[in-house]
Amino acid sequence: MIQGLLTYIIFTPLLAALIVLLLPKRFESTYRLIALVALGITMLLTLLAVTAFDGSASGPVDQESSLQMVEKTEWFSMELGSLGKFSVDYFLGADGINIAMLLLAAIVLFIGAIASWNIKQKKKGYFALYLLLSASVLGCFIALDFFLFYLFFELMLLPMYFLIGVWGGPRKEYAAIKFFIYTLVGSILILIVMIGLYNSVYDPVKTGLEHGITSVEQVQLAVESGEIKADEVVKTFNMIYMADQTNYIPGSLLAELDGGEVFGRSARWIAFLALLIGFAIKLPSFPFHTWLPIAHVEAPTPISVVLAGILLKVGGYGLIRTAFSFFPDSAFHYSWMIGFFGVFSILYGALNALAQKDIKKLIAYSSVSHMGFVLLGLAAMTVEGVSGAIYQMFSHGLIATMLFLIAGVLYDRTNDRLIENYSGLAHKLPRYTVVVGIAFFASLGLPGFSGFIAELLVLLGAFKSSSIIGAIPEWMPIVATIGLVLAAGYYLWTLQKMFLGKYWVKDSSWTEKLNDITTREYLMFVPLAALILWFGIFPDTLMNLINTSVESFVVLLNEATNR
Amino acid sequence: MNEQSNTVSGLGEQLSTLSQDIWYLAPELTLVITILLLLGFDLLFKNNKNLGIFSLAISGLAFTFFVTIQSFDLASSVLSLFNGLVVFDQLGLVFRALFILAALMMLIMATRTDKLFSDFSRSSELVVLSVALILGASLMSMSVNLVMIYISIELVSISSYILTGLLNGKQKSEASLKYVLFGGVASAVMIYGMSWLYGFTGTLDISDGAFYSGLSEVATLPLSIALVMTIGGFVFKLGAFPFHIWSPDVYQAAPTPIVALFSLAPKLAALTILIRFVNEIPVELFDWKLWLGIIAIASMTVGNFSALWQKNAKRMMAYSSIAHAGFLLVGLLAYSESGNVALLFYASIYLVMNFAAFLLIQYFEKQGGSAELKKMRGLGLKMPWIGVLTVVVMVALTGLPPTAGFNAKLFIFSSLWEAWQIEGQPVLLWVFIFGLLNTVVALFYYLKIPYYLFFKKSENENSPITVNKIDLFWGTIFVLPLLILFFKADWLVGFLNSINFVL
Repeated sequence: MIQGLLTYIIFTPLLAALIVLLLPKRFESTYRLIALVALGITMLLTLLAVTAFDGSASGPVDQESSLQMVEKTEWFSMELGSLGKFSVDYFLGADGINIAMLLLAAIVLFIGAIASWNIKQKKKGYFALYLLLSASVLGCFIALDFFLFYLFFELMLLPMYFLIGVWGGPRKEYAAIKFFIYTLVGSILILIVMIGLYNSVYDPVKTGLEHGITSVEQVQLAVESGEIKADEVVKTFNMIYMADQTNYIPGSLLAELDGGEVFGRSARWIAFLALLIGFAIKLPSFPFHTWLPIAHVEAPTPISVVLAGILLKVGGYGLIRTAFSFFPDSAFHYSWMIGFFGVFSILYGALNALAQKDIKKLIAYSSVSHMGFVLLGLAAMTVEGVSGAIYQMFSHGLIATMLFLIAGVLYDRTNDRLIENYSGLAHKLPRYTVVVGIAFFASLGLPGFSGFIAELLVLLGAFKSSSIIGAIPEWMPIVATIGLVLAAGYYLWTLQKMFLGKYWVKDSSWTEKLNDITTREYLMFVPLAALILWFGIFPDTLMNLINTSVESFVVLLNEATNR
Repeated sequence: MNEQSNTVSGLGEQLSTLSQDIWYLAPELTLVITILLLLGFDLLFKNNKNLGIFSLAISGLAFTFFVTIQSFDLASSVLSLFNGLVVFDQLGLVFRALFILAALMMLIMATRTDKLFSDFSRSSELVVLSVALILGASLMSMSVNLVMIYISIELVSISSYILTGLLNGKQKSEASLKYVLFGGVASAVMIYGMSWLYGFTGTLDISDGAFYSGLSEVATLPLSIALVMTIGGFVFKLGAFPFHIWSPDVYQAAPTPIVALFSLAPKLAALTILIRFVNEIPVELFDWKLWLGIIAIASMTVGNFSALWQKNAKRMMAYSSIAHAGFLLVGLLAYSESGNVALLFYASIYLVMNFAAFLLIQYFEKQGGSAELKKMRGLGLKMPWIGVLTVVVMVALTGLPPTAGFNAKLFIFSSLWEAWQIEGQPVLLWVFIFGLLNTVVALFYYLKIPYYLFFKKSENENSPITVNKIDLFWGTIFVLPLLILFFKADWLVGFLNSINFVL
């Protein structure tokens, strides 16, 4: 076990970005190799972390002791008058909730680096930004200090803006700014809550140190009884402490029992809603999804892959790590609404996908649909539902990566993605057709692929929800299954129109360009297909990692609803 | 010198008080000496004076900076000087240090322009007026007497009017005239309000107990009218809504280094006056938090939304500075134990990011001939390092990580949140929400510059641009603090914490 493994995972791409920046232009051809090697190392380190991670050893998600591979040092700390000590930690750690996301990110980023192999213009900028993006995405998943998390969260936007805006398609400028503005609205809402939380949560360990008490429980008792006054505590950005309701300063605005009101409603509800919207934009869920299709269509293939494969998952992860963990009571209060938006996204995304003519847009809308399952699973607040949500994020990350690569393969060759312009490609491109078939069937939830396990778990959890915890009614999973049928509809239809029948393409000059999959493309598709199958057949591989944490997370939710 | 009386107890004693007190104004004295030396130098030499003028000005300002820093220990407790005309405290000294830094940065910027530099070599007027502006701003930051406030504001204003219109050009005369007219009206309104206040209280010294007790006996309506008129004059100098209309024209017309100075020194000086002024007025007497909160919201919103439509980078920065005036007011609203450090942090970061922004705009101006955004097309790809620096500055102005602009925003809004939690005034919550949501609007226009730099193709693609090494150096030096102070915000905060904020 390497000391500081998580730090290395973040800083390897960052270092590589620096090397790319400093290397003179005559070494331009090596940039892609540097990126590939750096992300390869990152992936190996992540695999090392995953193997070292002991899934059964995770404990409650609101206790620091249940984290593994923890790295915690003070980043900066200063007196800010009556705001108390403003201290930010460099705090990394892994538990069952983020280890799966970390693994996914490392895999997808590596695949993205292979997909970037053929970038031709402005290579220095591209690879430096791609590596910076990689570092911030990885950091976002393992940062457990809200300040640090927010830093990485925002840091993702800027590289993404340029990657879409400079290397994208015809309407790239519009797509880039729309993406940035939408996400920024979300992050401002998150920032508002972050400031509120900072003013409401204290660090029991550091407070104890200041007052000479060593036991955390005693500190918590002393604060509760007023022995340590509200202005004598050390406030914190620690996301693990924020999940433990006893760490809220009594009488502060966001405290559970005697919290304040904003606009005549419980401040906790408002704060939860702000976080929910903030991350739902990222996820994206209806009605905040409109940035996604245009961003996907305009982004270059590797960036679409990263966007769909990982960035959307930051939304889901953020919901679990912040909104649901900090305000479980509010989550329960709004669970009906969350479930409704989940179901609505599933159907709305699927119906939109049915109507698309551009294959990339179709895949983008199918992402909206599949992300709806994440919301539904979370709203169910059952072990199956939450596991399903995480599983869906993981599985969709792999499947969406494959789907966008498929769209990229076609676009690379003909610069055209309209479904109606192709027919009978199976005769011309048999190997490509097989790959497409695998990806389509995986995405529509065929048993044996990872998507099936995920969606099954979500639906199971959602069904059980009304009898166990009463978070969402039974009709929601029933309606959601229609989404599965629709998914089968649009995928099979596309398969039939584009690949079956007589070979025909709109422009006869395309025929000579339409070559079958190259070795480099195989390098991306084969591992992805293998992983999708593996996680479809042996779900335990992932479940063992996440199970304990998910269970304790659900306990946290249940406790809040019983109070 | 702490004991003052309004009775004349012998001219000799008065004179000896004055001559004692004068040493506390050492920074201002060195500024005056610098001005005199510059004027003398100007008379003695005829041609090729720029080297002499610049070395005189820079050494004078650097010495003043040194003197200011040295005075910090003297000001460990608040001293009232010249029979209550000015106070000598650490708060004022911090702002004075910022003004002098601003002047130094302005001179550095001026050396990087071709045209202005040759203008400087003709005569020292621009430099002298800039130093006079700094002198006025310094006096503003320590005034506690209504007349002293008025005079120091006028010193700043008159210097600014001339600086705007000094160089030839129709646009400049128009801007200068607009500035004079608006400024004149604002001054008149302000001094009218002050005369009411004097009538109510019988004293000009706002720190005098009689000022407060006099005000508390006045009915709400006349009191509000007087205070609104007086504060209106301060808000004019702050460049906040609704007294902001002059700034876009002035910013567009005046030379870029001068604009950078305008966007900083008068604003911060006005802020100190506001701090000292509202500190003497309890909220129960006159709800200035409500008024300033509304002004802050309006400034941020109007400034940001108007900036969206601008096609000239300097004009855009004018609206940005209107919005930032709103943010400075946010700091004032949160003025408390934590708020003052947050406010000074914001002010310091604002200094750096504003000057960095104008320096970089000036580079593009030099390349393209004007600060029109469309002239910047594709320049980022031709000058990648300058382009990257610009992105960092724009991100800082928006207030996003990883720049100190984010910390600054986070600190003042955290303080504001805290102030709201304690005082429960609804207006503070609205300021909080509007202020943060304004970031989104701000992003849209700040990103316009990188957008033109990187996304748009330049007209003549094949003409490479070689960037002067000195330009690169100064650009980097101006931008670097924004990154360093994000990762190590405690360095600056640690220093600010050592300051005694008693007013």
